[in-house]
Amino acid sequence: MTNTTQRPRTPNRKRSSTQTNRETLVATRERARNYRSRARSADLMGILCWVSVAVSIALYLAYSGASQFTDPGGMVTAVGIVTGLAGTDLILLMLVLAARIPWIDHTVGQDRAIALHRRLGKPALYLILAHAVLLTIGYSISDGTNVIAETISFFGLGSDMILGYVGLGLLVLVVITSVITVRRHFAYEAWHLIHLLSYVAVLVALPHQLSIGGVLADGTLQRVYWIALYVAAFGSILVFRFAVPLVRTFRHRLRVEHIETIAPGVFSIRLHGSDLRRLGAEGGQYAIWRFWSWRTWWHAHPISFSAMPTDRTIRLTVRELGRGTTRISRLRAGTFVSIEGPYGIFVDQARTAPYLSVIAAGIGVTPIRAMLEHAHLRPGEATILLRGTDQSEAYLWHEIGQIAQNTSASAFSMLGPRPRHVSTWMSAHALEHGITLESTFPHLHDSDLFICGPTAWADEVVADARDAGLPEHRIHIERFDS
Amino acid sequence: MPIHTFETMGTVASIRTRTATRPASLNRLESVFRRYDETFSLYRPASELSRIARREHELMNSTAGVRAAYAEAVEWRNLTAGDFTPHRPDGIIDLSGIVKALSMNEAATLLDRMSPEGWLLDVGGDILSSPSFDEPWHIGIVDPADRTGLLCSVLLEAPWRAVATSGTAERGEHVWRTDATGDFTQVTVVAGDIVTADVLATAILSGGRARLDAATADYAIDVITVGRAGELLTTPRLRSVLAAS
Amino acid sequence: MRKRAIAASIVSSSVVVLVGWQIGTHTQAAESSATLAIPAPTPSSRASASPSATPAPLATPAPPATSTTAPAPSPNAPATTNTFTGSVASTRYGNVQVQITVSGGKISDVTALQLTNDDSRSAQISNRAAPILRQEVLAAQSANVDSVSGATYTSDGYLKSLQSALDQAGL
Repeated sequence: MTNTTQRPRTPNRKRSSTQTNRETLVATRERARNYRSRARSADLMGILCWVSVAVSIALYLAYSGASQFTDPGGMVTAVGIVTGLAGTDLILLMLVLAARIPWIDHTVGQDRAIALHRRLGKPALYLILAHAVLLTIGYSISDGTNVIAETISFFGLGSDMILGYVGLGLLVLVVITSVITVRRHFAYEAWHLIHLLSYVAVLVALPHQLSIGGVLADGTLQRVYWIALYVAAFGSILVFRFAVPLVRTFRHRLRVEHIETIAPGVFSIRLHGSDLRRLGAEGGQYAIWRFWSWRTWWHAHPISFSAMPTDRTIRLTVRELGRGTTRISRLRAGTFVSIEGPYGIFVDQARTAPYLSVIAAGIGVTPIRAMLEHAHLRPGEATILLRGTDQSEAYLWHEIGQIAQNTSASAFSMLGPRPRHVSTWMSAHALEHGITLESTFPHLHDSDLFICGPTAWADEVVADARDAGLPEHRIHIERFDS
Repeated sequence: MPIHTFETMGTVASIRTRTATRPASLNRLESVFRRYDETFSLYRPASELSRIARREHELMNSTAGVRAAYAEAVEWRNLTAGDFTPHRPDGIIDLSGIVKALSMNEAATLLDRMSPEGWLLDVGGDILSSPSFDEPWHIGIVDPADRTGLLCSVLLEAPWRAVATSGTAERGEHVWRTDATGDFTQVTVVAGDIVTADVLATAILSGGRARLDAATADYAIDVITVGRAGELLTTPRLRSVLAAS
Repeated sequence: MRKRAIAASIVSSSVVVLVGWQIGTHTQAAESSATLAIPAPTPSSRASASPSATPAPLATPAPPATSTTAPAPSPNAPATTNTFTGSVASTRYGNVQVQITVSGGKISDVTALQLTNDDSRSAQISNRAAPILRQEVLAAQSANVDSVSGATYTSDGYLKSLQSALDQAGL
């Protein structure tokens, strides 16, 4: 819809070029403004994270002041309480990061939020473990008993305390399975189910925090803050992970219309639904899809739009990677489809520079295809490099070629295998001929570089772009695990 | 230690890095030298400098890179009272005395990104190292009497990053002499940056003892020279290092 | 932008913690007999809590007291001026000796007392190249060097050069 045909290069050529310049200027300014506001939001997010941890420490200090730090037992106990508060705060932060809140997705992207979520996992667990261990030791010192007697006396404090131990056990289980899954010894779906237990773990830990600790005693501001924190974290999960997707799914009533194989192992799925513009999808975004046939409903698939949705149809393009995707290719027309999303900042809106450089490999071409379609491109603004091992990987290339033609963009292809024993994103042939990112993208230093392809390949391009001195905010990347 | 060599500017460059570098980065690095060569080489008829030499192109209208290099060369000519000069006796502008150093400087910024752990760049006998490195590099200095042997070796330690040697041996009269006496057959300068080292080595070789004394007085450099009869001169710091390393 | 965010995080976090601390010390001082909801009956820890509350009221008037007396740190530092002279250090530019002047407990002046001749030329003269005998220069083994500096060789010359040998040996 945005592909205006190439400007006629007849009499008023001069006027049109000044007009183009003005458009560029306006677009560049707007991008700079968008970038600054995103950067500010990202900063604010980081500050909020740190401050929330600081607040959890302050909660304790406001309660006890320095009074606890005088004898060894009191000191250990104090540190134990603080680690408990800070650890719980981190877990709540992790929930917020995983809640797919639109503000977070627009600002840093869901993948970076999840990366941070993962990084917080172990510190949170260690803090909570330290909380249990230190409090047991601290109290046993103060009481002059031993650790075991103290633990038994803890159990005597009632059901809240026992629930606290249950929460601790669940947490250990969740983190251990996460670590194992990352090392790929564990089925993803099973892990995900166990992962949901972390919600339970944080919830069952709440009673002992409120009833036993003095920090959050009834009638204190601390208690109000703490409960608000819980409400915010679980509320954002409920709203953005469950309510919003449900509403969207039933509002748009998506069904599979047609599945077409476009290359061996690669197929396009056309969905139809109603009022799809309200999704507000941008080219380059993805959504998490669930296809409700009895063999596929339990597996959610993150898949990029491979074309801009119209009001009635959506197109997705998928490469078969495992049994899950193979089953999708056999779905019947009419299968109900649920949607979570759209998500992602691999979009034209995220650009900050006057030119656009695009590089895609294999099936990574799909979000690129939609992004280019969505972008308002001046003639010559974009340069596109499509990378494949051979001609059989040239998925959707003719469509990209069409867009390139319509916007006078330069589109190149680089076919051929990577050289052996050498890590590079280029083909052996291109490498031998001294090709660089700069020689491919003449405006590289005035452009945003959009990279989409398999993880290892994409990382090579990113490293190369950094080498070339491209600033981090101009490198946009979408990785496909294959 | 990974070593990468390639031909450029009529000579060979070799790069040592502490860790492996990616081939794409090496392509980029080579392209820096290629670009300088394609612009400045008088051996390439199509280069900008060749076209200026043939009066097909005005220096005043040349690209910013050429003008900047020329301006820097002229400044060095003034600082060395003409012992270093960007002009051939026939009046042709020849920036070969400074272009290699300039291209090494530009390559340095790439190398810092490619191999932040440290690197050593040798282009045809001129050497530049990363700004910081764990252990000092040992740099051998060629014996002009026997070019397959070493005269000595020096330790390259921060803030000294660059070693350049000028001699009469290999490329004939590549240095334009201002006095006919010719005190030295080889001059090696150790300095903080490669342009200073390269230019001063050329200037001292051409200007003889007077330029040597002026240069050691004005710049934080170390020098070792070889005279006609093979006699050596060296600055005090280097003397202690040479005797110890 | 990022650095500013880090700085802002540090500042705001510290402020939050400090505010918490302030509130804590005040409430502790105010209600030192507040019941602590500590699970186990621990008289020992409660006993330790009350004496610790005593420094708190002391700490509150303390800051104004120190700030008023700040301009006169006279007890330790009489308002006299002392000079101290360092030992002679040899540097690349000759010998240097440094003198510092201390008045009112602060360093008020630093002067380089002595270059070799009290003449800036000295540094230059001391860097003058002087003859060295070949025998004084330790013969270097090519295997012990990382790279070789020599007059620019041609691509052909490189093949016969030491540098080429080093590069091929992977040293």
